[in-house]
Amino acid sequence: MKNNINVMNKIVCFSFFLVAFFSCKHHENEYHSITDKIEAESKDYHGTSISSEAYIGEIQTIEITEGDHTFLIPERKSQIKSYACTECHSKPLSQMKSKDLKKAHWDIKMDHANANTMNCVTCHNPDNMDDLKSLTGNEIDFNTSYNLCNQCHTKQFEDWKGGAHGKRIGGWAPPRASMTCVNCHDPHKPHFESRWPASFNTQKVKERE
Amino acid sequence: MSNNNKKWFSLNLGRKEKTSSGSCSCGKTSGGCGSSSDSHHMTDEAFNEAAIHASIGEERTKDGFEQVFDVKMDRRSAFKKLTASLLIGAGAVSTSCSVISGDESKEKAQIDWEEQFKGNYKLMTDKEKEGTVDRLVRSYQLRTGKNISMSSKNAEEDVLFGYAFNISKCQGYMDCVNACVEENNQDRNSQMQYIRIHEMKDGKGFNFNEADDNYYHEVPAEGHFYMGTQCFHCDNPPCVEVCPVQATWREDDGLVVVDYDWCVGCRYCMAACPYDGRRFNWSKPEVPEAEINHNQHYLGNRMRKKGVMEKCTFCVQRSRAGKNPACVEACPTGARIFGNLLDPDSTIRWVLENKKVFRLKEDLGTEPKFWYFMD
Repeated sequence: MKNNINVMNKIVCFSFFLVAFFSCKHHENEYHSITDKIEAESKDYHGTSISSEAYIGEIQTIEITEGDHTFLIPERKSQIKSYACTECHSKPLSQMKSKDLKKAHWDIKMDHANANTMNCVTCHNPDNMDDLKSLTGNEIDFNTSYNLCNQCHTKQFEDWKGGAHGKRIGGWAPPRASMTCVNCHDPHKPHFESRWPASFNTQKVKERE
Repeated sequence: MSNNNKKWFSLNLGRKEKTSSGSCSCGKTSGGCGSSSDSHHMTDEAFNEAAIHASIGEERTKDGFEQVFDVKMDRRSAFKKLTASLLIGAGAVSTSCSVISGDESKEKAQIDWEEQFKGNYKLMTDKEKEGTVDRLVRSYQLRTGKNISMSSKNAEEDVLFGYAFNISKCQGYMDCVNACVEENNQDRNSQMQYIRIHEMKDGKGFNFNEADDNYYHEVPAEGHFYMGTQCFHCDNPPCVEVCPVQATWREDDGLVVVDYDWCVGCRYCMAACPYDGRRFNWSKPEVPEAEINHNQHYLGNRMRKKGVMEKCTFCVQRSRAGKNPACVEACPTGARIFGNLLDPDSTIRWVLENKKVFRLKEDLGTEPKFWYFMD
């Protein structure tokens, strides 16, 4: 008899603890805030079966690693019509500037920083036209031209690496593919013109009359 | 009617006091419309009694079944009603069972029958979900001769969708608004739009009262900035709490969705949403056949009907397939960032952890999963 009571006691105690344990968690408002929830639930994140690879489409990409970030950017050289530059730039630049040669690149007007800061050879390498060059004269490949931009635009570069600046290609899921600087900004004239909005709601105007 | 005797409060805005005691609002001067002279002598209690009786009458004592069947009516009208309801029922049965009517109309009737009596999508098993989606696709095919693809894809595990909006990048182009309308098959006549872009004056803060969400001039306008709002997919959504029929709920991947076939159109959710995120179909939504987006999801951009609520679903038909919502894809400035909040390597997580982010009306505790940030 005493044994029975003991067992009963144990069962009651156990179930009490069980209820107490479970009632703290499992409720819908388990977390104090969404940030707590994100933090807790992403701890054992193993990835998803969803992939955005198919949506990158026909864009050729190259993989880059900058700091902690590894992602894809569009390949550039094949998109430049007159690449390789050395197909025309066979002579040193000083000779090509002579008057009896046909003019080229006449349509490019520099509107980037001011004349004290930048001219063509700030980025283009007069000794090897197929490559770009850094401020200190190091060669930079056309495919990784963001390395030119980030010499001055360091903040934008940080944001771009993390994904806060620039546009994503394809979808949200891995693998990440992002536009690089020159896919949106013309390096010779990097700002955007104002334009008209794409939409105007005439019904809204009527409703608010 | 004297003012002391009024049983309700009225504002009397710009209305003249009625001076003639012999006439009432119905315009009659003699004979009375029922309230002219009698109400003066009524006690409060008697008035209440009469008012209740007039408004709900016998329903006070009778239950639902009795309300319908236990009514006084003559034989003629009783027969009329019986015959009418019998005809309706027989019509439905005969179309589905008849030998004469074509297979297609039979199938149509069968589909309509099953659709009419299906349950709430939230409670359906995966098989039932597939069933209703198949029926809707077939029904569309029978009615229009066109094929659509409709998905009933469930929330993926380890996914919680989140959105970030860069207010220093948005230029107010409104490409997102157009892309959204086209993607989600929204009604073209009423020009319903899920997204609003508010043009705000610099130096005035987030002042929605003074902001303009329907501007038409070259953008970005001098001295202004732009801020987009849409459904924020709250983690603690007040719209879900108030729905009397549970036609709207929060999915496991954080999307707040609506079952258009379960919605009764009471618009409680519209009133409960502190962000003006929900829209109502006042008329039958119409989309030109050529512009219909055929890639649909049951909870997303499938064709709606008149009198139901709808809203941004983060393009569930796209996001659950790994694509970005249409607004994100259309934005030429990269101001819109979308991703999986549970993936520590996702860009949305980087934004949340490294930029100074905020949300609208954070103090309400609605926990919207839509953050704003600046460069």
